[in-house]
Amino acid sequence: MPEKQQKKWVGKGMQRKEDLRLLTGRGRFMDDIRLPQMKYAAILRSPYPHAWIKGMDVTQALKVSGVRGILTGEDVAAMSQPFPVGVPIPPKYYSCAVDKVRYVGEPVAVVVADSRYIAEDALDVIEVDYEPLPVVMGIEEAAEADAPVLHENIGSNIYSHRLFQYGDMQKAYEEADRVVKGKFLFPKYGSTPIETYGVIASYNPFNEEFVIYNNYQGPFVNHSLVAIALGIPENKMRWIVPTDIGGGFGTKTGMYPYIALIALAAKKTAMTVKWIEDRREHLLASATGTDRVTYMEAAVKKDGTILGLKDKAMDNTGGYIRAPEPGCAYRSTGNHTGAYQIRHLDREVMVVATNKCLTAPNRGYTCQELYFSVERMVDMVAAELKMDPAEIRFKNFIQPDQFPYTTATGGVYDAGDYPKAFQMALDKIDYQKMRKEQLKARKEGRYIGIGLATVVDPSVTNIAYVTLALTPEQRAKGHPKSGSGESVIVKLDPLGKAHVIACTNPQGQGHETVISQIVADELGIHPDDVSVSDVVDTYDRVYTITTGSYSSRFASVGVNAVVAATRKVKEKMKKIAAHLLEANLEDIEVKEGKFYVKSSPEKSIQVKHIAGTAHWNQTALPEGMDVGLYASSLLTMPTSQPPDSLDRVDSSNTYGFIAEAIVVEVDPATGQVDFLKWASVHDAGTVLNPLLLEGQVMGSIAHALGGSLYEEWAYDENGQCLTASFQDYLVPTAMEVPKVDIGHVETPSPFTALGSKGAGESSTMSVPVAIANAIADALAPLGVTINELPLSPNKIWHLIQDAKNRPQLS
Amino acid sequence: MKLEGTFTFNAPQEKVWEVLTNPRHLEKAIPGCEKLEEIEPGKYDATLKIGIAAVKGTYKGMAQVADPQRPQRYRLIVEGGGSPGFVKGEALIELCHQNQSTVVTYQGEGQVGGLIAGVGQRLISGIAKMMLGQFFKQIGKELKTL
Repeated sequence: MPEKQQKKWVGKGMQRKEDLRLLTGRGRFMDDIRLPQMKYAAILRSPYPHAWIKGMDVTQALKVSGVRGILTGEDVAAMSQPFPVGVPIPPKYYSCAVDKVRYVGEPVAVVVADSRYIAEDALDVIEVDYEPLPVVMGIEEAAEADAPVLHENIGSNIYSHRLFQYGDMQKAYEEADRVVKGKFLFPKYGSTPIETYGVIASYNPFNEEFVIYNNYQGPFVNHSLVAIALGIPENKMRWIVPTDIGGGFGTKTGMYPYIALIALAAKKTAMTVKWIEDRREHLLASATGTDRVTYMEAAVKKDGTILGLKDKAMDNTGGYIRAPEPGCAYRSTGNHTGAYQIRHLDREVMVVATNKCLTAPNRGYTCQELYFSVERMVDMVAAELKMDPAEIRFKNFIQPDQFPYTTATGGVYDAGDYPKAFQMALDKIDYQKMRKEQLKARKEGRYIGIGLATVVDPSVTNIAYVTLALTPEQRAKGHPKSGSGESVIVKLDPLGKAHVIACTNPQGQGHETVISQIVADELGIHPDDVSVSDVVDTYDRVYTITTGSYSSRFASVGVNAVVAATRKVKEKMKKIAAHLLEANLEDIEVKEGKFYVKSSPEKSIQVKHIAGTAHWNQTALPEGMDVGLYASSLLTMPTSQPPDSLDRVDSSNTYGFIAEAIVVEVDPATGQVDFLKWASVHDAGTVLNPLLLEGQVMGSIAHALGGSLYEEWAYDENGQCLTASFQDYLVPTAMEVPKVDIGHVETPSPFTALGSKGAGESSTMSVPVAIANAIADALAPLGVTINELPLSPNKIWHLIQDAKNRPQLS
Repeated sequence: MKLEGTFTFNAPQEKVWEVLTNPRHLEKAIPGCEKLEEIEPGKYDATLKIGIAAVKGTYKGMAQVADPQRPQRYRLIVEGGGSPGFVKGEALIELCHQNQSTVVTYQGEGQVGGLIAGVGQRLISGIAKMMLGQFFKQIGKELKTL
């Protein structure tokens, strides 16, 4: 039962509690952990993208002084099973290459030594005999019948392939006045968190138990997968995550094979083994988002109504496919049609193998790929119909009175006011004025463009979506999956301070701060009176497979659990207060650290005295009540249901909205892009802490800017990775990120306790396509079409030349 | 990456052929080559110490004088692998006399993989040109010793 309560702290820009330790070097990260007699690992990695391993000779390496042992692929195959993954024919994916390597950088052996230096020296003298094989790097090439096949047991490079039909696309085609077609290419790139992967593993042969420190971000379903791979029960493997993680962004969901690898190295050598990934290893063999080829058709009416979409999307997960993939193809199902009332959709999805490194849910998790196609298509439709691209969006939006809105694909959009947020973005860049400026500039031979993007931001994943890789018939035979669970414990100590035990596993988002604000408001205390430990320890914490921070889930299900647990404690405190004050429970109110009787407020008792009674005077408690003062909440979002037999699923449970409006000027002589104006309006429901939200928005903008203009995980045609250092992998610096006017609209979600929705990914989904739309708009007079990223000056310049050289058909 | 070019030597074709195919001379000419040891006629075990960008390393592999058609042409194949990755190069080397000189034309492919490809790809073609230049300059020196 929602109650009206004091919001003194939630919604305020309270300074983060985490920052003092982070800014004074007192954070506790993986590399800060020192254990007795710890040894160090270095990983030998394949220089070939595709090759048989004919033989390996480690004898010289074992003789290097200080080397304690070496783990080879042969050892890994003997000591573990391949990782389970949700595709019809899984590849044999071990934590180390066994008989074949399938991407440059794939681990082939691990050396354990007294220092990292010695381990690296030993790598130099390991001899591996490779027999190179032909490579396949292109997505469409990989799907062809004559492509070199990576996995003999699969027989083709297609990991997953499904067709979906929603509504009646045939009818949409018949009713359409036009059909607009496009092909879109989205590049492979990642989030490069400032802290790389770290693992410290040890194995106790007497009780056959692993203890592994690591900076994994969740979901903890991967703890189960590693247990299965290692052939052990889950209660024989303890994962402990440190207090601080230097950024996850989805990249750290893909690190679990390294956890297994280092655990095996520890078991084989009987040592405690530490491995900290270096930056080059990260840029070769960590995890990126998928690159994707999309063919899309839109059936539209001349008044701009978009009746239906047909699309084929091909995702590349690289040399192997690993959980949560093939989620890349299915995770955005619920919000596939974005912010629009599109009821007809035909989808074909394919997930393929190439000799590139592997993938994980990179910040935005395929929504940037999806909206790159959808929002480019909306602009292309507008151009075809000679309509203003803002007008066509207003025409097709889901309207504010239609919420909660169920999409054709089963997504349940909780709340939103898309026209209001979009109008705010347009007003911020002075849209009509900029259109006039654009015309004036064209007459002067200058190329200004306006790029718009309006997207729905899904947060808190319902793990049911992974089962969309199976057909309804296949699903009916197996066990259903569903849920988005989270767990929080709130307790009060004998002196009345609150302590929260959470396992939301933050990587820098500021959960400790937000949790303190929430508990302070609920109990009428000060955030300084709330302490939080929010780390996962699979032995000491109550967690579940969905536990972790990914898919921006804290603000929804995490906050729900915090509020639920705190309200349970508050209920208990009210009962104690009623009992001690001899009043009725309904008459008890809470304000500023005091529980008092509504009708006679002088009858009151302070939080610290209630806590004191619960601990120090246990028999004074109401009959049958537990001693102490704590409560737990382990809940899931009720809309996290399995898919239905028509493949509809609410793949996420809260849906925010972003309107991006970007004005650029492109210099056709150099391909340089300058940002003249940029407005980014966000609806993340109730704002819990505006400082944190602004940080998330700016961070997502910087990440997205990278993928739009600068970053690409590049490979040459021989399969060599070309971007293994920051000299070539161009992450934007402060110099590249322009000033952005950030605006907010708050439409509280009816599904979360405080109305908040996730915002951790936000602009990563809207910015790439908004920038592409802006550049396309700027260069339209030159006949340039934009359908790929990143748009480096070189690429833009070539597109302009190609358009000039194209034979003109009159 | 494509490798092609020409070099002219002030020497008769037979002598140039001798220097370009004899392991005693090749050992001195191939940049970074520490040792060439014959496995079978025309095929040699090679140890190369090369630095590209900040990456210096030792490569073990082989060099081969293949399909010799004395004194007109042969294929030079060099391969090496080591901790910094691998290098592979194959070129068709053709000689023709021009008055008192010999014009040597080479046309081939080079491939680099592993660490150096990952961090030095901007520099590789420049370094390859430089190493080819060093190779032919040294061949010129070797010719003078004959």
